[in-house]
Amino acid sequence: MRINNKGVLLFTACLLLEVLFPCILTAENVEHENILKIQYGGAWRQDQYLSPTLYDGMMVGLGNEWWQPFSQDSRLGKAGKLDHWQHVGCMDLLFDWTYNPTRSNVLYAVGVNVGWGAHYTWQWQQQGVQVLLGPYLDWSNTVKYHVRNVNKPISLDASLQAMAMAGVSYAFHGKNTSYRLRYLVWANLIGVDFMPDYWQSYYELTEQVQGTVRCAGMWNHRTLRQELTLDMQFPHSTWRVGIAHEYDEYGEKNMMFSHEQVSAIVGTCFHYRLNPKHNFTIF
Amino acid sequence: MRKSLTYSLLLLLLITACTHRFEGVEDNTPVGNMECLWQTLDQKYCFFDEKEVSWQSVHDAYLPSVQCIPTDDYLTLFDTLASMVNTLNDGHVNLYSSFDVSSCSTWYEGYATNFNWSAIKSYYIPSYRVAGGAYYAILPNDSIGYMYVPDFETPVSSNNMAYILRSFLPCRGLIVDVRNNGGGDLSYAYQLAATFFSDDQVIGYWQHKNGVGHDDFSSLEEQHLHKKDMPSSWFRPVVVLCNRHTYSAANFFVSMMRYSDYSAIIGGVSGGGGGMPLSYELPNGWLLRFSSVRMFDRDKQSIEGGITPNYLVDDDPQTPQDEIIEAAIQWITNYYKNDTSH
Repeated sequence: MRINNKGVLLFTACLLLEVLFPCILTAENVEHENILKIQYGGAWRQDQYLSPTLYDGMMVGLGNEWWQPFSQDSRLGKAGKLDHWQHVGCMDLLFDWTYNPTRSNVLYAVGVNVGWGAHYTWQWQQQGVQVLLGPYLDWSNTVKYHVRNVNKPISLDASLQAMAMAGVSYAFHGKNTSYRLRYLVWANLIGVDFMPDYWQSYYELTEQVQGTVRCAGMWNHRTLRQELTLDMQFPHSTWRVGIAHEYDEYGEKNMMFSHEQVSAIVGTCFHYRLNPKHNFTIF
Repeated sequence: MRKSLTYSLLLLLLITACTHRFEGVEDNTPVGNMECLWQTLDQKYCFFDEKEVSWQSVHDAYLPSVQCIPTDDYLTLFDTLASMVNTLNDGHVNLYSSFDVSSCSTWYEGYATNFNWSAIKSYYIPSYRVAGGAYYAILPNDSIGYMYVPDFETPVSSNNMAYILRSFLPCRGLIVDVRNNGGGDLSYAYQLAATFFSDDQVIGYWQHKNGVGHDDFSSLEEQHLHKKDMPSSWFRPVVVLCNRHTYSAANFFVSMMRYSDYSAIIGGVSGGGGGMPLSYELPNGWLLRFSSVRMFDRDKQSIEGGITPNYLVDDDPQTPQDEIIEAAIQWITNYYKNDTSH
């Protein structure tokens, strides 16, 4: 399959931008939070480009997430207008294997999700409550492989979406442990999707890429992600457990693409601070 | 604080209400499966005009009988749906299940067999070598190379071909036998055909469906044969043998070989299969394969119905020799008689 060079360049540029953007904004002399996590759970997939049936199975994932305040060195920072703003980035690698209802076929999917968002926070220190709300840019790509299909085994989910992100967290203390319970939710607002026509094979897509990238919004693409996590800060380490749910559907006319997953999360958090000489200190 | 939390919860409820879980999943009933099959072909099958089939009439004819099939009677459903798709008279339209595969036989019924591999082995090539997907030997007493390609599932790579042609160095002609070759990977057919061309060229056309209507097709798109795919070359007379079971990628190979400067096609009318197949799953997990992309020869003629050879010759199964191979030997002999430059 020949791949359009412009498409590859655009894809790579967007990916690099997403990955590098948080690095550019990294602030100094403030505490940063980084989480490494794994996910395991159930997955459901519907891809009417490949099959009309609903596939169900299991998924695993590996992810990295970081939370950072904005730099106070900028003009806005010095004016005190970034005091309540934070930014968050994440990169997830997901793999799922799902089966059709008669268990006669398997659909494999490998996905990379990269996201970056900024949010305003309201804090109630004494109660340990924090509420956050802000925009989030999500770049999702999943390649799906349908084992039995002839000449049309592959489908691709690719979308770049502006989302709304909201959350609430509650911090409390035990005898020797500090806890933070946090609920986060993301919902898409507007963006662009890659979507082939119903009758097109990917052989044809290489020749007719026009028309496969479409404007997306809540009228034709709905994404809802939720995450409930509990961070447990022990004297020498911080661990996270939680549950995540994601539902994503998009489509037009008589072709729908849907995906849902519910997974358990286990991860570890560490905090670090960058000093002006860029020494890296974990604590 | 309380107000913020209330607004957040309301927002979450609003977002959740906007999502619909797994719309449009087809129902796994006999009628649901039939409708899915019918609609898939109605929107994606590429030869309705050429086959002169009224697909709506087929739907109306089969629906009453499908409505009577009990949900657990999968054998009757399979046979009924197989019969329904066989009205298209297309070897590329099949239904695959865990217990059976349907196939259409009407496109080759009534044609001579025109091939007996056991007889060829005993009469012409008692010993032969195998290189990739090709069996090859020099025909005794004739200085003519014989190469049998039973399918295009296995490639005859450029490395294989280099050895095959080296063994045919003393030969004055070559017979490429693709009888009973049911096809396979089209790129292997391109690669083998490139042996008999000196440079890149347009060798055919494809036409994609670009809409759900029976007449919705893209413009013809050129298909190129690339010499770099097969650096080895054969520029002496070559005869391609075909029969009605020469199908799909092998049919396209025959189509390409008609444009070689040194070739002739001998045998029976090839089987056709000039549509690249795609597949789609039915709600019950069966797989439907169907022609979806139309292929044309370099003269923009459809090859779905098969290719008539330059010399129509039928094999007589009562005789030990193969009349089609004999005709090929004769053509190569005549080629040198008629063209003194060789």
